[in-house]
Amino acid sequence: MNDNTKTAAAGIVASHDGRALHLILTGSLVAVGYYVGAKVGFALTFDPHPVSVLWPPNALLLAALLLIPVRSWWVPILAAFPAHLLIELQSGVPLAMVLGWFVSNCTEALIGAALLRHVLPGERLQFDSFRHACIFLLGAVLTAPLLSGFVDIGLVTAIGWGKAAFWDMFTLRFFSNALATLIIVPTVVSWAQGSWQSLREVSVGRQIEVGALFLGLLATGMLIFKQAPGSPAMPALLYAPLPFLLWAAVRLGPQGISAALVMVASLAIWGALHELGPFTGGSPAQDTRAVQWFLIAVAVPLLLFAAVMTERKKTRKALQISEERSLKVVRSSPDPIMIVRKSDLTIMDVNEKWEALFGYRRAEAVGRTTVELGIYANPEDRNTYFALSERGLVRDFATDLRDRQGGIHHTVLVGDTIEVAGTECLIKIIRDVTAQKLAEREALKQRVELVHLSRVAMLGELSGALAHELNQPLTAILSNAQAAQRLLARDRIEAQDLREILQDIVSEDKRAGEVIGRLRALFKKGDTQFQVLNANDLIREVLTLAHGNLTTRNIHVITALSAQGVDTRGDRVQLQQVLLNLVANACEAMDAPGSTRLLTMKTAPSENGQVQIFVIDGGAGIPAELMEKLFDPFVTTKTQGLGLGLSISRSIVTAHGGQLLVRNNPDRGATFRLLLPGIAGART
Amino acid sequence: MSGPATVYVVDDDAAVLKALTRLLQAAGHAVAAFPSPQAFLDSHDASTPGCLLLDVAMPEINGLELQEKLAADDTCRAIVFISGHGDVPKIVQAMKGGAVDFLTKPFNDVQLLEAVDIAIRKGYAARQANGELKQMEQRLTTLTAREREVFEHVVSGKLNKLIATDLGTGEKTVKVHRARVMHKMGAASLADLVRMAEKMGIRPGAPFPDP
Repeated sequence: MNDNTKTAAAGIVASHDGRALHLILTGSLVAVGYYVGAKVGFALTFDPHPVSVLWPPNALLLAALLLIPVRSWWVPILAAFPAHLLIELQSGVPLAMVLGWFVSNCTEALIGAALLRHVLPGERLQFDSFRHACIFLLGAVLTAPLLSGFVDIGLVTAIGWGKAAFWDMFTLRFFSNALATLIIVPTVVSWAQGSWQSLREVSVGRQIEVGALFLGLLATGMLIFKQAPGSPAMPALLYAPLPFLLWAAVRLGPQGISAALVMVASLAIWGALHELGPFTGGSPAQDTRAVQWFLIAVAVPLLLFAAVMTERKKTRKALQISEERSLKVVRSSPDPIMIVRKSDLTIMDVNEKWEALFGYRRAEAVGRTTVELGIYANPEDRNTYFALSERGLVRDFATDLRDRQGGIHHTVLVGDTIEVAGTECLIKIIRDVTAQKLAEREALKQRVELVHLSRVAMLGELSGALAHELNQPLTAILSNAQAAQRLLARDRIEAQDLREILQDIVSEDKRAGEVIGRLRALFKKGDTQFQVLNANDLIREVLTLAHGNLTTRNIHVITALSAQGVDTRGDRVQLQQVLLNLVANACEAMDAPGSTRLLTMKTAPSENGQVQIFVIDGGAGIPAELMEKLFDPFVTTKTQGLGLGLSISRSIVTAHGGQLLVRNNPDRGATFRLLLPGIAGART
Repeated sequence: MSGPATVYVVDDDAAVLKALTRLLQAAGHAVAAFPSPQAFLDSHDASTPGCLLLDVAMPEINGLELQEKLAADDTCRAIVFISGHGDVPKIVQAMKGGAVDFLTKPFNDVQLLEAVDIAIRKGYAARQANGELKQMEQRLTTLTAREREVFEHVVSGKLNKLIATDLGTGEKTVKVHRARVMHKMGAASLADLVRMAEKMGIRPGAPFPDP
């Protein structure tokens, strides 16, 4: 019987293609199984008692229904029908009763299968799940035989076949079917769903273990159930198979325990039928009930136990796999990683990259703390880090770490809390950004250098115009002084006039000093100094510097300065450089014939709070082919000049978090728009 | 026509304008200062003698443009340019336009005053020359057509006889015309008359008669 059902189940599961063939195969297997099962059921009947100790056909039908989709349920039922007729008609039962029993048998299988499908929608019944096992026991083992029992007894009574008392019949039939379900369904389902491939790969040790287990079980079973009745040690001996059953449950899971239970049940029933073993000496009904109760009492807890054990094993295995995977990731990570126990902050594990970065071997590091190793260059950072890690994931924690040789590494830490082998740990992934930082610093230095050089170059180009700015006050000073000299020489000067002249000399000297100061600031190679700047002030300063350039080129300037919302933060000199460059370009652009010689400088806050500075010229505009690469270095329209001005201007503006944009005006000339971050609550 | 000279100063830089005014006044000049070419044009009296001290780089109208404007209006005014930086094309343009000098700021008082003096003198001279010419031209209009013909022939160096032949008249008649021309033009001698003709741009006739 066992072999048959196995094959049947295997056939059901294995065959996926050819639905018709699959159904025919299922049908034939069910028919054969049902027939053989019924034969076995009859064999396990205490004569003249009409009900079998264990009635397999219903359980087999249920197992078949559980293994196939609902839409194919008609197949096993249809297939079981001829088998049912064939076997029952041999036993001389009236046709009405035969049909009635078929109905009650099918009812039981259908109730059980439907209940399980309903409670576990879309899931396969798994005997390695405690929940599934409980649902199976309540649904298929308890409820289905109970409900179908009423149908059966009702039919028997209606047809008038049975002679026994109603409730005796009911309980006998119930236990017979429940026991069959309990023993057979887990066996069929777990073996049908088990992987057959893995059976061939079972190790020799395992094979020996399984062999020893079943031989042991067989031996103890034989010992107990083939014993002559009446032995006083009998009740105690009943526990002899228990170690083997527990062994099967723990080591072999649902497949093992169900097979072992089949063996025990077979032996117990066989013994009882042959008047051997502990379940003899009573009436057939009493003996039947004793065997049934014994088997149910053994099978229910063991099935649940096996489910719990397997479930736990699976969970542990999954955890282990996940931990191993994590460990592998940690070991092979391109970033240094350390794992620290949370309770005492000792290092649990480090990877190769960590060893390489810090110069400690893993064995030296594990068991010590970062403080002992002196890893944090600033120990405060460690406390800050742990405070942050209390809140969970730590991201981009920048800190300096010290290696064994005392070398400082600029790093960024990412960390989280993880559980390693049941211990709460902190995992820290370290990214060494020293090289990156140095490169950034170097790039910044070069940029500052370039910005300065281009500024000096621009001032060189403007030197004539700048000299003009200086010559004005010098001329005034000289003329004033010489006027005074002349007046003094002729002794024609009033003290008041002299005072005025001297006052003018002083103020003009200051003016010259300011021009020089402004120039010196522009020539100086200073660090970038961010301060609050007013865009209007910037424009005024730049126009003062560019005054000479503008007047000698005969360019008229219009300013439209917004009184509000044009404060920004930036480096005064660098922003002056940008504007001076834009003004110088505008001046040159307006050398083109047909230009308006009108420069408009405008400030206005943008809608999203940025500060806008517009430099609008009336020149020829920017040729379309130049527009796209205007801000690229070495792009120039001038015969002299490197073409770095705009490229550097844009890089300055970008470093200020702003934008430098350009477009041609609809009529003539171009508009450069400088966008700088505004300051909330700018002056009103 | 003559009288005290005024130095007109035009510079958009208030401080420079004030200082230059002071210096020129200290040197004994009468000064009229203007912060822009337009202000100068608005109040300038061309008949006043003197010179113009003019900055080159100024907004709206620059110094060179003012120079052109004055020339176009036939205003005779000697100009000394002053500039914050002297670039060659501008100096050339200024000098071609008849500027007396081009000073680069800052300049010494001696340099400035010399240039101003020269400009004032040139102004007077020009003014004088201009007056003489106007007188000559006035006199020229009093000549009859025949007298004008005789004038042109005389200044070309022809003898009376030849002129008579050319004009198809008698030598005596030519002599009378010639005496009248000399008188009307106020010329003391033939050389004087030739100089007048040159100044007025009267081209002498051909030295030899046409065949």
